[in-house]
Amino acid sequence: MLHLPSLSSFLHYISTMDTLAKLQILSGAARYDASCASSGSKRDGPYGGTGNTSSSGICHSWADDGRCISLLKILLSNDCIYDCAYCVNRSTNPGERASFTAREVIDLTLDFYRRNYIEGLFLSSAVMQSPDYTMECMVRVAEALRTEEQFGGYIHMKIIPGCSSELVRKAGLYADRVSVNIELPSQASLQRLAPQKHKHAILEPMALIGREITTSLVERKASHRAPRFAPAGQSTQMIIGASPENDFQILRLSQGLYKKMNLKRVYYSAYVPVIEDNRLPVLAAPPLLREHRLYQADWLLRFYGFSAEEILSDDAPHLDESFDPKTAWALRHPEFFPVEINRADYATLLRVPGIGVLSAKRIVAARRFSSITPDGLKKIGVVIKRAKYFITCRGRSFEKSDQPPALIRQRLLLGESSEAPMSILPKQLVLPGLFA
Amino acid sequence: MNCYLYDGTADGLLSSIAWILEEEPDPEQVTLRERMDTLFEEGFTIGTDATLAESLFFRLKQQAPDAAHTLYSFMLAEKEGMETSLLHYVSLAFKHGDKVKGYLTHPAVRDIVNVAKKAGRELHRMKGLLRFEKLQDGAYLAKMAPDYNIIHPLAYHFSRRLRAQHWFLYDVKRRMAARWNNGTLQFGTIEQFTTPALSEDEKKVQALWQVFFKTIAIPDRKNPRLQKSNMPMKYWKYLVEKQGE
Ligand code: SF4
Repeated sequence: MLHLPSLSSFLHYISTMDTLAKLQILSGAARYDASCASSGSKRDGPYGGTGNTSSSGICHSWADDGRCISLLKILLSNDCIYDCAYCVNRSTNPGERASFTAREVIDLTLDFYRRNYIEGLFLSSAVMQSPDYTMECMVRVAEALRTEEQFGGYIHMKIIPGCSSELVRKAGLYADRVSVNIELPSQASLQRLAPQKHKHAILEPMALIGREITTSLVERKASHRAPRFAPAGQSTQMIIGASPENDFQILRLSQGLYKKMNLKRVYYSAYVPVIEDNRLPVLAAPPLLREHRLYQADWLLRFYGFSAEEILSDDAPHLDESFDPKTAWALRHPEFFPVEINRADYATLLRVPGIGVLSAKRIVAARRFSSITPDGLKKIGVVIKRAKYFITCRGRSFEKSDQPPALIRQRLLLGESSEAPMSILPKQLVLPGLFA
Repeated sequence: MNCYLYDGTADGLLSSIAWILEEEPDPEQVTLRERMDTLFEEGFTIGTDATLAESLFFRLKQQAPDAAHTLYSFMLAEKEGMETSLLHYVSLAFKHGDKVKGYLTHPAVRDIVNVAKKAGRELHRMKGLLRFEKLQDGAYLAKMAPDYNIIHPLAYHFSRRLRAQHWFLYDVKRRMAARWNNGTLQFGTIEQFTTPALSEDEKKVQALWQVFFKTIAIPDRKNPRLQKSNMPMKYWKYLVEKQGE
């Protein structure tokens, strides 16, 4: 059992700590959050005010780990009353504590924004005193930015589970995006690892946000004066590998969140052990490959017209380690191939390994003018060495047809490496649940 | 094959294209180049007419907004020697509308689209990478040295964004400046540029940003190669967070 750091010893320190020292602690604590998105919202700047948002999102810098910096990503406080097993901020973990004042966050945001360092603010927090107290402090920051300072830039706010629905509503009115972290893929795991958090305290605000977003969209169709509610939508995050759920369970959960709760994004974060706890698994390394495969499968759910049940099943509940989920699907479904590039419809093209959304669109556009040749296919950006087993072009195949899937499997694996090596993928390494 | 010449200006280029599209039965068989006034230069020089240039752009914008956008981005690149390709591209765009962008197998389309893409990419990048410094008098100044001549659209972007501020953009390479003050945007050139004094709190804010920049990176995931490919070193000179590197 670790010792509880005495609060009073910190109080003095906190009051004298300057903004620079706090920024170091509270941005350091926020660095593991996966979501850096600043897109999806288009907000015109208020006259006489500062800032607008751009629907395509803008990166302002790239950190030393290669990730895009777009928002001032900070915790309001890391001084948590909860004790989630996997989190560095948990109350029983010793370490420096700090809390910003509302004014400090507002000034940092404006000073950075005016110099074009950032697109806006990403505000999260540990639970101080109570969920309501914390959420109220956070909402106050956003409210002051929007009303007193006429700030029109991007704001992403985390919702603290267990806070009142009134505060959730307020947050959605000021923020472009709100998110409630689902944290763990099942109720049982939540109970074991984050005993103070309850499933309903997470799902209720999610459902509320989903409803408010829909209502606001409908009302704004009728009148442009109707208030916006989280115009960039809601997202969530879950930790992978700290609990025993399999990929199929996880994907089905995501599918449900996209369909029923209207979520924009689900972020997955490979569990990184930061503190020891006998409720947590001992991992040799964070399950980064698994996280990567989940993102790929998630992509298939959102943009490629796949369902979770097509990607995995109860008999094969884990994503293939050697192949991306689309190639894995293609290898299981030889009857679907080969696909003729000059005839297949968009949805069918999307199912071919080596053809992405962009190249499928380009194929459809290019063949309006003339039928596509193998050479033209390369120029369009199709990854031929992967696609060649699955397509014909003007009726001709690239490879001997009727190769057994096992052989294709082997050839895809051997030398003709099917994708970029892990190390150069702009991956998001994420420490779990630093956020309430 | 007919050969045409123009005076080398942007207006001249667009108005010659407009003229050719009007007069030539098959514009795709025609070439267009800048007039060099050399002795044996062959070709017919087309006069420059700014209104003709403008009307060409607006007509294209109506019939093929994407292609007009490509044309605009292409012009930012100030590329010489691609006039004939541009002529063919515009001609195809009027014929096929925005579907022309799918015609990447055509060399003229591919060349124009590629250049336009590069200029567009730099414009998008600079929207993020531009850094303002606060001056003593409360105005803000951002210096830059972009490859392409993007100051106009960039200034327009910031006029939507930093409305309440008085600011300047300065393109060090081209000595061009933009100024936003009280709701008006102006452009001009500055021959003798000296950096004015900074406001008192400027260095403090820069120090805060530098600390944030350092701490937001995950320490055991250093990836300088990825950082450089996203944020090429040629832009570091004016980046607060990259000073002293
Ligand atoms: S996950 Fe959130 S609530 Fe749990 S200990 Fe960490 S900061 Fe506190």
